[in-house]
Amino acid sequence: MIETQDLTRTFGGTTAVDRLTLTIAEGEVFGLLGPNGAGKTTTVRMLSGLIGRTSGDATVAGFRLSDPDDARKLRGAIGLLPEEPGLYPDLSAARTLDFYGRLYQVPAALRADRTEKLLTLLGLWDRRDAPARTFSKGMRQRLAIARALIHDPPVLFLDEPTANLDPEGARTVRDFLLELRRERRTILLSTHLLDEADRICDRVGVLHTRLLAAGPPSELRAGRPGHVTRVQLAELTDAVVTAARAVAAGPVEVTSGATSSATGGPAGGTVAVPVGDPGRDNPALVAAIVAAGGRIRFVTEATTSLEEAYLTLLGGAGSTEPRVTQLEGTQLEGTKPGGPQ
Amino acid sequence: MSARNVATIAAKDLRITITKRSARLSLVIFPLVIAIGPPLLARFTGAGHQGVPAVLLPRVLDAFTFYFVIIAALLPTAIASYSLVGEKIERSLEPLLATPVTDGEVLAGKGLAAFLPPIAAVWAASVLFMALCDELTRGELGRLYFPNATAMLIVGLVAPLAAVFGVEYSVLISSRLSDVRPVHQLATLSVLPFAGVYVAAQIGAVTLDRPTLAVIAGALAVLDVLLFAAARATFRREEILIRWT
Repeated sequence: MIETQDLTRTFGGTTAVDRLTLTIAEGEVFGLLGPNGAGKTTTVRMLSGLIGRTSGDATVAGFRLSDPDDARKLRGAIGLLPEEPGLYPDLSAARTLDFYGRLYQVPAALRADRTEKLLTLLGLWDRRDAPARTFSKGMRQRLAIARALIHDPPVLFLDEPTANLDPEGARTVRDFLLELRRERRTILLSTHLLDEADRICDRVGVLHTRLLAAGPPSELRAGRPGHVTRVQLAELTDAVVTAARAVAAGPVEVTSGATSSATGGPAGGTVAVPVGDPGRDNPALVAAIVAAGGRIRFVTEATTSLEEAYLTLLGGAGSTEPRVTQLEGTQLEGTKPGGPQ
Repeated sequence: MSARNVATIAAKDLRITITKRSARLSLVIFPLVIAIGPPLLARFTGAGHQGVPAVLLPRVLDAFTFYFVIIAALLPTAIASYSLVGEKIERSLEPLLATPVTDGEVLAGKGLAAFLPPIAAVWAASVLFMALCDELTRGELGRLYFPNATAMLIVGLVAPLAAVFGVEYSVLISSRLSDVRPVHQLATLSVLPFAGVYVAAQIGAVTLDRPTLAVIAGALAVLDVLLFAAARATFRREEILIRWT
């Protein structure tokens, strides 16, 4: 439904988006994560046909950005929620939707039906005749979402849909986004709220001018494809580590714990062991550790928060040179194939 | 260019314009002052309030009629300034430009919305002006002076062209600034050429007869076309989104 190939945009000497290659399937919700100035809004604007591209190309809902004849049709096939709601303060909610419905050539009867349906769904029907200037931030955002849907577009671009909303307003918007997800619309959600992306998106991509990584949130959290089993031990010995390495599908991460201050006993520790198939490999791993004399306290799946994974990808909050990581199924431009760099 | 899209945008802007008290007042007060003040002046000016002598009345009334050209250039500037800069302030251009409308349709719709109320106000006021003038000068002239071909040329042709000039000049100013007040202040300078013509007529440098008015109308038409081209060149969605938002 959305396919970009080396999509690039520069402003003067500054590259805002660098060779973005990405495919978003029909019905998929894709979260575009990145800090301010990462190129998220520029990407959304390029894909919405609002601004041109410097090089590369993209297809959205079957319309090609590089084809001038497609520009108008492309804009008719997408719904856009910009970073700011951008409403007319003196227009009522109903008139706002009517105005945009007309511009999208929605027939009058359908326009009225959709206006009622959307305003009801978004809890604004009772305020349909009130001017937008009397609305709270959350109500304005909901009206802007209704505006993006008035022509029932197959593709939606949502730029920071819950930014600056109070928790209740953000939750209402998020619930509605989950409803849209159930409708199988193709959605590109630009956000810097990682929890939101985690909850709503089928896949996420981290953008920092270049696409640093893309994949399901769980994969991004894991930081690498596959699974890692974390085994917490009462006592960490060389024999246990050797046993774990024998079963591991990759490098084993070993973390020593502190010596017990209460007992003065030996230090415990943890081994994080990459495994190919947890169902098959975890029993063998546990058996190997026990056979090596290890005393197991807990066996858990190693996960990191999406925030940790995100910051790692960006090379730390203070770094200006992000670290590039490739996840399974993600083709990154300008990187060597074969794993993290 | 889709006439339907132009009409939709114009209707929306008109609706917003009429909700603004300041816009409503400026559309009523200025034309009303011009419609009532000069006829009273023509009738009651001078010592003993005997009014303008009959021999001078045609020239004076033609000059007064030219006031409608000046306010036709002035009135749209307030609406056009807000129409464009307001979109910047409210950040409403991005969703508007994301719809399947062309830049030309947005510009034409906004221009139409800034043009129609002032020209309607000018025409309504000119009818009142002419009726009042006729009523107050009929005794002195011994005939009804209005309507006449010169007045029709001024109100029916030169004034609308002046209004278009005011609209397009405001669009150009709006593209460079992002605050309504300075835009409006600069846009009001669009009356200067017309005020200049009026002063020139008053000092006898030009005569506001039909041939002169035809020349002014022709020059304005050319200027309007050039300004429209310049406004259209300025009003590019990419430039608007990157510079205005």
